[in-house]
Amino acid sequence: MGLPAGKTSVEKLAEKNGVQFYRIKSDKFKTTRIDLFFMDNLERDRASGNALLPSILKRGCASYPSVTEFERKLEELYGADIDGGSLKKGETQLISFHMSHISDRYTLGNEKLFDECSQLLMCILEKPLIEENGFKKSVFAKERDNLIDYIRSRVNNKMRFSMTRCIEEMCKGEPYAISEVGSEADALLLTPQNTLELYREMIQTYPAYVYISGEVDDISIQNFIDNFISMGRGNIKSLKTSPVQKNVSEVKRIDESMDVNQGKLCLGFRTQVDACSPDYYPLVVYNGILGGDTHSKLFQNVREKASLAYYAQSILEKYKGLMIILSGIEAENRGKAEEIILKQVEEMKNGNISKEEIEATKKALETGMKSMQDSQGSIVDFFMSQHLTNCTEDFDSQAEKFKSVSMDDVVRIAQNVQLDTVYFLKPNEKASGEGNE
Amino acid sequence: MNYNTQFYEKVGETLYEYRHESGLKVFFVKKAGYNKKTAMFGTNYGSIDNVFKVQGSDREIEVPDGIAHFLEHKLFEQKDGNMLDKFSRLGASPNAFTSFTQTVYYFSCTDLFEDNFRMLLDYVQNPWLTDENVEKEKGIIGQEIRMYEDNAEWRVFFNLLECLYVKHPAKLEIAGSIESISKITKELLYDCYHTFYTPSNMIVVVVGDLEPEGVFSIVDDMIKFKDRGKVEKRYPDEPEELNSEYREQKLSVSMPLFYMGIKDNKRVSGAELLKRRIALSIALNDTMGRSSTLYNRLYEEGLINDSFRFEASLDQAFGFVAWGGQSVDPKKTAEIISGVLKELAEKGIDEKSFTRIKKSYQGMYIRSFNSVDTIAREVMDTCFNGTSYFDVGKIYEELDVSYTNNVIREVFNNKAALSVINPL
Repeated sequence: MGLPAGKTSVEKLAEKNGVQFYRIKSDKFKTTRIDLFFMDNLERDRASGNALLPSILKRGCASYPSVTEFERKLEELYGADIDGGSLKKGETQLISFHMSHISDRYTLGNEKLFDECSQLLMCILEKPLIEENGFKKSVFAKERDNLIDYIRSRVNNKMRFSMTRCIEEMCKGEPYAISEVGSEADALLLTPQNTLELYREMIQTYPAYVYISGEVDDISIQNFIDNFISMGRGNIKSLKTSPVQKNVSEVKRIDESMDVNQGKLCLGFRTQVDACSPDYYPLVVYNGILGGDTHSKLFQNVREKASLAYYAQSILEKYKGLMIILSGIEAENRGKAEEIILKQVEEMKNGNISKEEIEATKKALETGMKSMQDSQGSIVDFFMSQHLTNCTEDFDSQAEKFKSVSMDDVVRIAQNVQLDTVYFLKPNEKASGEGNE
Repeated sequence: MNYNTQFYEKVGETLYEYRHESGLKVFFVKKAGYNKKTAMFGTNYGSIDNVFKVQGSDREIEVPDGIAHFLEHKLFEQKDGNMLDKFSRLGASPNAFTSFTQTVYYFSCTDLFEDNFRMLLDYVQNPWLTDENVEKEKGIIGQEIRMYEDNAEWRVFFNLLECLYVKHPAKLEIAGSIESISKITKELLYDCYHTFYTPSNMIVVVVGDLEPEGVFSIVDDMIKFKDRGKVEKRYPDEPEELNSEYREQKLSVSMPLFYMGIKDNKRVSGAELLKRRIALSIALNDTMGRSSTLYNRLYEEGLINDSFRFEASLDQAFGFVAWGGQSVDPKKTAEIISGVLKELAEKGIDEKSFTRIKKSYQGMYIRSFNSVDTIAREVMDTCFNGTSYFDVGKIYEELDVSYTNNVIREVFNNKAALSVINPL
């Protein structure tokens, strides 16, 4: 049943002064969007400032100095969305901006939304609120406070917190240990002036990638590109690559206590595999068999057989060659859980993998590669990641690579996976949280 | 084969509707060009349905909290193995969820849709429960419950419901407690299953690049169970008053978290429910959305941040509006918000803001059709509430400011409750 779905592809429209413009070809969506990414090396003294930039820029621009007016304008444009944020991929920090609106044909009177929406995006990028050669003080102060609150609030989500702490301990001394939003101490060093300087550096020198997708005519796209490159550019910064090779001499063990009910066990591994190397494909299959899905060894053994946990999974950090295993358990079951988890890692090394396990994983990857093409955001993320790592595979060729992975490839990858850090977020003896009204 | 076809021009989508002879309703939405196919099989049975008459008897029973969710977990287990494995072998990704009012089993796949769809329809009709596999699940669900105990956002939400409801089971944790699930037995699970998993109480929704005949004929082939008759469930009479105005708990969080809400005492269903829900959303957006004076005042004063959210949660059986996020001073924030809501209840919203916000919501409605999962979820949810997601476009056309202001007066004159999580 069903027609063969169209191929999703990307076309390079222009490259100028370190900005690359791409058009994503896929016509099934009801929204039009621009995604743009400024990239910087992930460094301690820059991370907080970089992360603060989108928050400040979103708070108004020369044509819309009041946020209320800006937001009302977006509502009038059928709930158009303009947003920004900070993320990391390996040891690269990405400052992202995003604009999206519904396609013109769904408006009440066939209105043209792209030009107006892209101008709003350009306004916040190009014309921030400035005073005394710094960002507007009130905006800066508020957003820096919010950034610090946000950094502190990472403790709220215990699963993510334990994973972040595991990575921090594991990558101590490496840039990857730095958070995508930096640290409180570094945020405190920021001023309206030095942050404005950083903003200028971003606009003028960071390599940038721009993706346009959905229904929009070529003239509007060209106008947007012309506007974008009319912002001055200087010497384009070169980005470092993220080293993935690291031999572990001794496994680190970190226990931290907190007033929680459930303990969180996190095991960090080095896979020694580069994001764009041929070994990446068998690594993804390896991870899938071990802890990627409900058929995986971790899910089956920690949850289904031993009933120790609700979740037990492994996650890859593609760009840094890391694998993290996570599970939420009772404190008293910590030893048992760790033993079962490490046993599964050993089973992988010993090649105790059934044909069903590898086949199910490869099918899941195929489904994943196809499903990604049904989301505009996922398509952008896929191509941006490929461009960032200089990988040339597209959806179809990458799917082929996964298909051709053999059992031997997986077992070979398993030999190089090394445990680096065991982190346990331990409930305090007297766990609170109940009945303390 | 006899089914209805309806093209909806505003959203550019076609809905196919089929009524199986057993009474099961089946919906299909074709998404040309999409790789992903999603199928859902759901029953109008959730955590709040804990007092009911067991099918085929005159017995009315009250079951332990969390049993609908427990049954959801157990249905995956079949005599010849776990369904999760079987779907995975075919490259599909299966899952299920239990809400206040629904239990829904689903999968998404890109290939082998027919095989996967047959499996979904089959296993939901065939529970396989043993004393042993019921016991085993208590460990897994126990850890799920423990995980939520540490989740501040979840806690602040359920503590608010505890404040809002005196008797209504919407205040109960969906997964129950370690104590309540310890009382769950195979026999009780079968009582629930036989009562609520009956064709006329269930819906199938399929979304993807498929053909309607194909989808409906698989349903014809696979649906074997016969209808066991009308479900008789009972909810307690909920008084209009709050259970309590304030509740506070301490957890390991960096700063206080608050959630505030107002109970909607009027019960409606069908298109009226959707209309009321949209009207309340527009009212909330006007008062405390990002474009509002209040939001920006609280933001500038450092009383709220980016985590602030609001919702209008309306169902046939219960309804409330709620809002909150992180705040250094929840009580002060709540006081300011209450002041503005009092004004809202008196004055209502003006035509200009109403029109602007409505336009923005119409845009979000269009956006929702980008995702096969969202479409499937909404089609099911609206059908269980006696209406259709595809009528939302029409509702936007009908909805005007005077209707909205009536709803505002009905709801925002009620007292608000406040739930707070403080750092330890």
